Amino acid sequence: MENNKLLVAVDTSENSERAIHYISYILKNRDDFQIGLLYVHMLPDKDIFPDEESWKLCCAERERKGDAFLKKCEKTLLEKGFKKENIKQIFYYMEAGSVAQKILEIQEKNGYGTIVVGRRGISKAEEFLFGSVSNKIIHYAKNSAVWVVE
Amino acid sequence: MANNVKELVTKLRPTLSLARYGKIFTDTTDFSNIDHGDVIKINNLHYVVIRDEVERSYGIEDPKYWVKRCVCLENGERYIIKLVFYENFILNLGVLKIKCYRSPEKEARILNLVKNDKRFMQGMPFKDEKGNSVRIIEIVIGKKLDDYIAKIEADHRTYFFECFPEILEKYIYACEAINFLHENNEKHGDIRRDHLWIEYKTGDYVWIDFDYTFDFYENPFGLDIFGLGNLLACYLGKGEISNIDLEKMSQTKELDFNITKDDYSLLYSNRVYNLKQIYPYIPERLNEILMHFTVGSEVFYETVDEFLLDLNKCLHELKK
Repeated sequence: MENNKLLVAVDTSENSERAIHYISYILKNRDDFQIGLLYVHMLPDKDIFPDEESWKLCCAERERKGDAFLKKCEKTLLEKGFKKENIKQIFYYMEAGSVAQKILEIQEKNGYGTIVVGRRGISKAEEFLFGSVSNKIIHYAKNSAVWVVE
Repeated sequence: MANNVKELVTKLRPTLSLARYGKIFTDTTDFSNIDHGDVIKINNLHYVVIRDEVERSYGIEDPKYWVKRCVCLENGERYIIKLVFYENFILNLGVLKIKCYRSPEKEARILNLVKNDKRFMQGMPFKDEKGNSVRIIEIVIGKKLDDYIAKIEADHRTYFFECFPEILEKYIYACEAINFLHENNEKHGDIRRDHLWIEYKTGDYVWIDFDYTFDFYENPFGLDIFGLGNLLACYLGKGEISNIDLEKMSQTKELDFNITKDDYSLLYSNRVYNLKQIYPYIPERLNEILMHFTVGSEVFYETVDEFLLDLNKCLHELKK
C-alpha cells in the first residue's frame, strides 16, 4: 500500500462533489499525492426497460453524466494546484454486483492507501433495503484508511 | 380449420357458454381490446378469454386489463394469461417510497427457472407473433396463507403450540425457495401477504407473481428479505398486530404492554414486531428474529441464508 495514493470514488451526486472539495482543501498544493478519480458506471438493469433501444439510451446518458462529472472533479483539483500528472481518471463499467466491492477491489489491486467516498446520510430503513456503499467500504476495507465525507 | 371463434368453440369445447364470440388474436399488443369471448392463439393452442383479472384490496376492485382469465379450448383447463404491460410507479412501503417497474421478461425468465418446482406458481412463457411476452399461468387452487391462518379457530396460545410449528416448517421451505431465486441472481420483488398461497390439495405453500423489479444494486435482495420478515410477523402473530389491536387487547384483557418505539417495524410504524411482549410464551430466539426487522435493530439480515439459519434453530427448539 502506498500512503500517498488516494482513491476517490465518486458518483454524480452532491455528496461526491463535497468529497472532492474536501480533498482539494485538505491536500491543497501537495504535489506528492497521487489521486485516482474513480467512477463506477453501473449499467441499469435491463428488466426495467421495455426494449433494448431505451436501455441503450439510458446507458449512454448515464455514461455521459459520469464522464462529465469526472472531468469536473479533475478541473476542481487542478484549480486547487494539483498537477495533472498526479491525477488519474478511472471509468469502470459494471453490469451487476456491489459497487462497494468493486471499489475495494480497485483499491487493493492498485495499492491505494486511502479510499475517499461521500455519504448520502440515509435512514436505517433505507440502508436495510437499498444498502450503503460507504458503510460497506468502512466494514470491509483492509490495508487502507477510509475517509467518509458527509 | 376453424377460422372464427364460434366455429372453434363449437368444435373444441361445445359445452362452454359464452356471452359473445369475438376475434382471434395472435398479436396481443393492444391488450385492452382483448375481451370476453375473444381468443388468444399462442403456441398452436386457443385460449378463450373469460374476463380480465381484478385485484381486490380493502374492498376496492382494481382491474388488471393485461391479465386475462382464460379457458384453453383444446384441454378445457383454466389459465391466467399475462400480457405485456410496462409501467413504473411509486410503491409506498411504510415510510419509504420506492420506484417500481413491471417486467414481463423477468417473470418469463423466472417461470423457466422454477419449472416443476412446486414452491412457485407454474407457467410457460411464449412470444406472440409480434414478439410480445405472453405468460400462460396455471391457476393455484387455494387461498392466501394469511387468510387461511386468520380463519384457524383457536386462541393465539393454542394456535402457537398446535399449529405454528407446522406452519413455520413450511414457511422455511418457502424461504428456501426465495433463497434459490437469489442464488440464481433473481429476486421475487413483491413479497407480501397476497403472494404466498396455500394449495388446497397438497397444503404446499406457493409463491405467485414475480413481475416486479427495481433498480437497486448495492443490496438487490433487501426488499425480499424485508418481505420475508414481515410475513413471519404476520404468521407468528396470527395476523398483523397494530396499535389499534394493542389497544383492543389492553381493554378487553386488562393487559398493560410494555411496548416502546424500538418494538415496531422498521418500515411500518404502526406494526408491532416485538410479539413476545404480547404473547410471552413465544421463545426468545424466535422473537429475536423479528427484532432484526424493528426500529431498534442495529443489525439486519443481509441474506436469506442468515434468516434461514435462525429460523431452523427455532423450528428445532419448537419441535423438542
